[in-house]
Amino acid sequence: MLEIRSARKVFYKGRPDEKKALDGLDLSLATGEFGVVIGSNGAGKSSMLNAISGAMVLDSGQVLINGDDVTGMPVHRRAARLARVFQDPMKGTAASMTVAENMLLADLRSRKRTLRLGLNAKRLADYRERLALLGLGLENRLDTRVELLSGGQRQSLSLIMAVGGSPELLLLDEHTAALDPRTADIVMQATVRAVEALKLTTLMVTHNMQHAVDYGHSVIMLDAGKVRLEISGEEKKRITVADLIGHFSVKTDRMLLAS
Amino acid sequence: MDIQTIFTSFVALVPVTLAQSLILAFVVLGIMIPFRTLNFPDLTSEGAFPLGGCVCGVLLAAGASPLTAIAVALVAGFLAGCCTAFIHLRFRIHTLLAGILMMTMLYSINLRIMGRSNLSVFGSPTVFDWAPFTQPGFPASKIVVAGIIGIVVFILLDLFFKTEKGTAIRAVGANPDMAEAQGINVWVATIGGVGLASAFSATGGALMVQSQGFADVNMGLGILINGLAALMIGEAIVGKQTVARQLAAPFVGAIVYYQLVSFCLAAGMPPPDLKLATGLFVLAMLALPSLRRGRGPAPAREAVRE
Repeated sequence: MLEIRSARKVFYKGRPDEKKALDGLDLSLATGEFGVVIGSNGAGKSSMLNAISGAMVLDSGQVLINGDDVTGMPVHRRAARLARVFQDPMKGTAASMTVAENMLLADLRSRKRTLRLGLNAKRLADYRERLALLGLGLENRLDTRVELLSGGQRQSLSLIMAVGGSPELLLLDEHTAALDPRTADIVMQATVRAVEALKLTTLMVTHNMQHAVDYGHSVIMLDAGKVRLEISGEEKKRITVADLIGHFSVKTDRMLLAS
Repeated sequence: MDIQTIFTSFVALVPVTLAQSLILAFVVLGIMIPFRTLNFPDLTSEGAFPLGGCVCGVLLAAGASPLTAIAVALVAGFLAGCCTAFIHLRFRIHTLLAGILMMTMLYSINLRIMGRSNLSVFGSPTVFDWAPFTQPGFPASKIVVAGIIGIVVFILLDLFFKTEKGTAIRAVGANPDMAEAQGINVWVATIGGVGLASAFSATGGALMVQSQGFADVNMGLGILINGLAALMIGEAIVGKQTVARQLAAPFVGAIVYYQLVSFCLAAGMPPPDLKLATGLFVLAMLALPSLRRGRGPAPAREAVRE
């Protein structure tokens, strides 16, 4: 379960270009719930994700994961509880390391790292099996350095790395936005399969209205640093792209284009 | 000077140079680890090398055992490296500037440790006295001892970088944001890694002092650029695609580089020109990739939507 309580963050405070990124944001996501976050640029989506992951320190407010206050925890300590897939495929993987080594790093996310050999036969077999689920042939490229993979392959790898070990919370930060439509679809399908199979509590940020309609149990719309609208249950199942867009004045062309 | 004389004087110097290069390989290792593994270009070794030397010199002069002297030098180097990494992380000062600050401050510290600018420890016992199979004093004993330590360090590091902890440290160099998101404490890994590297540089200094019989505060002058040149030669020969190759590069590079230097000197190159030549060589090696690419712009980053 994820709870954000009246989170506030102001950038450049007291200066002419002061920017309220989060303005008393409240949000809660039940265990096993798949929430989709939409909102125009500058609505606070990235700030919210950064506040959850710990990459950004809040001015005030709290972040709770499964009831535990993680507000003051640094990124590396929160990592034991949450996993994040970034928009940029470069960001979520270590390019100069191999596929297997990247899998190992994710595997140890919530465990204590020891002085034992990292890539043992048992782990390699496990990674091979998990990567095979993607159907991209990554299971035969365990020793390939990640920088030699395509963006789609890297992003798929990031996803497998993130869902491994069933994190308490999965954050998806426009994770298909940088991919071509076909690859984006493959990654999205793999995401949905994993989230459903493992019943992961998931928060997905997207600019793609169709994705917001098709996936998830609820749609959360952010505007000016707070939740403007939340649609869940039966209403969510019936919603269309046109409805969603009708719910708020579209500030940028991007949303229309992306839909 | 005819070819034969040059060749004879070069060959006569091969064992001495080999002994020297095996000792300096530790400094090259101390340059490689931050530079390649941690992506933390670091200049501390220029101060850590004489630091190790000075600490070792003072302890030898005070009658300490050569092993104790090396161990204390190693710890001193480790602390110096930790300081550089801390300065960078805490105050967000560029790694190179942090290194320059550290090596400048270390110069005073080294003078303080020794109380004067150089110290003779000739005649003190050294680790080279314990060389198996050889007579003490002859370069062979230095080659054997430095070689054995080098091989042990190489094997241990190769094993370490394949452990869970070692993989985590490499991840910090490859992508710090990703490493942090995977639960790795970037501070601990960086401080520990740079510390470890400087510990090797200091160990090199300590071995050098035991080998040459004196310590000098200026012994680090230019060691960094020599080390870089050696590293680049090593990487050109053995590559850097795997952990083992990357770790072998400093050793191979140091051996080849110092033989090259020795050959140039034997061939009549004036010693004062050496630093210029080394500098030009490192420049050429660094410039090569960008010359090959042509005059295009810096590598474009993958275009992504906001």
